[in-house]
Amino acid sequence: MRHKILTAACLAAGLALVTGCSAATPAGGAKGGSSLTYLTFETPSLTASFWDSSIANAEKKVPGLTVKKLVAPSTDRDAYAKQLQASGQFPDLLQSITPSTFATAGLLKPYDQSWVDANFLLPLGNAYKGKVYIPPTNSQIIPEVFYNKKLFAKAGLTAAPKTWAEFMADCAKLKAAGVTPIELGGGDPFSASMPLVGILSADILGKDPNWLQERYAGKVHFTDANVETAVAKYRTMVKNGYFETGALGVKYADSITNFTAGKTAMYMMGSWFLGSVPKANAADFGAFLTPTADGSLVVPFAVGGSMAISAKTADPAKATAFAQAWSLDPNNYKTLIEGDGAFPMLKGKTLADYNVNVTQVFKDSYSYVTSQNTKVSALGWATNDDSMPSGLNDAFYAASQALFTSDDVHGQMAKLDAAWDSATK
Amino acid sequence: MGLYALFILVPVVMSAWKSLTNENPLQDHARFIGAANYTEMLHDSALAASLTFTLVLAAVVTLAANALGIAFAMLLNRTSLSFRMMRTLAFLPQVLSGVIVGFVWRYVLAQDGVLNNILGSLGIISHPVTWLGSPHLAMFSIALVATWVLTGFTTVVHLAALQSIPVELYQAAMVDGAGRWQRFRAITFPMVAPGTTISVTISLITMLKLYDIIAVLTSGGPADSTQSTALYIIKLAFTDDRFGYASAVAMLLLAVSAVISLIVTGLLRRREVDL
Repeated sequence: MRHKILTAACLAAGLALVTGCSAATPAGGAKGGSSLTYLTFETPSLTASFWDSSIANAEKKVPGLTVKKLVAPSTDRDAYAKQLQASGQFPDLLQSITPSTFATAGLLKPYDQSWVDANFLLPLGNAYKGKVYIPPTNSQIIPEVFYNKKLFAKAGLTAAPKTWAEFMADCAKLKAAGVTPIELGGGDPFSASMPLVGILSADILGKDPNWLQERYAGKVHFTDANVETAVAKYRTMVKNGYFETGALGVKYADSITNFTAGKTAMYMMGSWFLGSVPKANAADFGAFLTPTADGSLVVPFAVGGSMAISAKTADPAKATAFAQAWSLDPNNYKTLIEGDGAFPMLKGKTLADYNVNVTQVFKDSYSYVTSQNTKVSALGWATNDDSMPSGLNDAFYAASQALFTSDDVHGQMAKLDAAWDSATK
Repeated sequence: MGLYALFILVPVVMSAWKSLTNENPLQDHARFIGAANYTEMLHDSALAASLTFTLVLAAVVTLAANALGIAFAMLLNRTSLSFRMMRTLAFLPQVLSGVIVGFVWRYVLAQDGVLNNILGSLGIISHPVTWLGSPHLAMFSIALVATWVLTGFTTVVHLAALQSIPVELYQAAMVDGAGRWQRFRAITFPMVAPGTTISVTISLITMLKLYDIIAVLTSGGPADSTQSTALYIIKLAFTDDRFGYASAVAMLLLAVSAVISLIVTGLLRRREVDL
């Protein structure tokens, strides 16, 4: 019996030791300096070597600091950060998370506003309740409508549509010419939602930029007639056969391949797709914004950013210095621009300053960012006060998939309202 | 006993306690809320849908995998080298991780995947079938893949049971003029009962907590149609930040699994006793 108790005690002690070793312990780094943990994620563009070299470069600017890279198992950094927090291993630095989710729990430390003001074009672009938790280093348009000029020409189309009616007419012409009008990677929920994000951002937020704040206040609802009318546009597109028949079975990665291979004429996707435009025939691709009824331009906009700093970090000064060094390093911007289609938001810089090789469609898209126009929060993608409550994005994605096969617009919108009310209860 | 307590009882007790709180992974303090999480479950349509899907999937896959398992076991119940190799192959799906199985089958079932290409080249279909893109077909696809995985396990269990049947019984039956079907009904099926009990029970438990294959194949979609209860629990905990409610659902799943396993085991054991 004593032997068994001893064994259990040893196991418990061993577990505690393992847990203790693997937790984010900021103190006691190499050579008596600090050691911090940094949550990153990998994509085909943001590779392990990119993170390693960007970390090494920023470390050089903060003497006595060692940064240990953590890699999220998927691109869902928020979910992994929550798991780490639940197991007592919340990282010191967290790349591209949704600040509102963690700031409300007091887990993040805001940046010094004067530093943000001095360095970025839109200092409050991703501010949450007046404070900046991730430097607003870059932005995206979510979604743009990318199109294949050769397939447009095949259907007798010479220019991109400006109004919704022209858009629908072009879809009809493409279909009549034997071309699938719009690619949809509906097998991945976020990708399935892109047409709805575009339509709702243009039709609802374009007319009422405060719509999301009003939804928080309970003044507007998804079941409102104007929202359901906008969603019905998506149903019309589905019923008219403007997406491929089995779109819900197409994974996001395959949707990119299909579109770039010329199998479909248009693709509604975030501007990060610009990093996937094939260089060899980049001139074949163009982009326009989701058309509105009257042809007015509405830019569904999201200001992203680099890393958040944990409020519990043992060395806030070095964590901040590292984050600032990383966020201002032009080498990082080059990778983000060329590989991830990110629009840089550093003050006083032009594209030429980053020494990048970008396509014409990138330049055309970037002009939407730099021009004076109507910019609204991209529904579900904004990281500022307009970010949706935790769990709502998943509900929105599920509704988008359901509406591909169901005519029950009101039912799906009612579900979204219920999910919103539950999440904000 | 110490290990059991450390790795099984302690987590279950902790989960039961959390199910009575409003614990949120992002908040330091949780509040005791009594049975509120349990009463909320009564009105949770997403939970009802996920539980229905999980139970139907468990029933269908357990039946299919065990029927196929007995059939394959009888086919492979030989001693030559080639049959021993085929036994190893039959068990292979069970050895593979669910994530790998999911990725492999995702390529098979994709729009331009292996299955559609084969069916198309044989002239059976004119357009690709959306195996993972429509709710009902996605459910069928999950059941197909889960059956494929579990059949390896059920085959091996039934094979072991078959090999324990004395050959003399078959010889006596043949002397009495019993045909193949009669020998199966009177000897094979009853004699593999202990193996069937183990196989069915473990199959059911495996299916009731199925997560990995679904997560890779469909992520619970389209439109949550293949969201198992295990998947729903993870979503509640790490997307909706509701550890307390997720723990309550986990306790429900544990209770459902325990009750079903006890009933099924009891019924199958009775069959063993009757032998």
